Amino acid sequence: MRHPYDTATGTIALGLLLTAVLAALLPLVAG
Amino acid sequence: MDPLFDLALRWTHFIAGIIWVGHNYSSVVQRPGWRPLAAADLTDDTSPRFQALLNREHGFFRWASVVAWSAGLLMLWQRGWLAGALTLDGALAPIGLGTWIGTLMMLNVWFVLWPHQQKVLGLVPASVDERLRCSRITHLSSRTNTMLSIPLLFFMAASSHGGLAG
Repeated sequence: MRHPYDTATGTIALGLLLTAVLAALLPLVAG
Repeated sequence: MDPLFDLALRWTHFIAGIIWVGHNYSSVVQRPGWRPLAAADLTDDTSPRFQALLNREHGFFRWASVVAWSAGLLMLWQRGWLAGALTLDGALAPIGLGTWIGTLMMLNVWFVLWPHQQKVLGLVPASVDERLRCSRITHLSSRTNTMLSIPLLFFMAASSHGGLAG
């Protein structure tokens, strides 16, 4: 099974996913 | 703070950031998929693939990462925002998160990618098998930074242009 980083699409998709997760969490953790 | 100095810092931050992350993006465009090196690529230093590797992996982007990171911290410090950003305090939370991501990326360059890259390039003695193993690690390390640059740029933009609660 290929690692997500082994394709440009996988790398970018992970980046977008992480962005969405962090943007959703940030208001919850911001002081 | 002198506005011209602030402008120079921001300009430096942009240029160094583009040199640094542009290196990662260039790699993705040139080699979107993982292609394992062959032993011959490493044992024959005149091979086109090894030469291409050498040409890509020079010190420019490593030092650009330090310049970009330092200029960013200095801008925050000059405004008296550094502690608030690092503790994700209120409206400083987006740039604070960007700062933490950028810090992780710089540590990744210097302490994960570079030690392995030195072996791949033959700058540090290693067996061919070890160099091939390290080439996989440098690939994953490089792509980690490409991936992290996406939220990094988002939170840098969000800090200046709003759009997020905080």
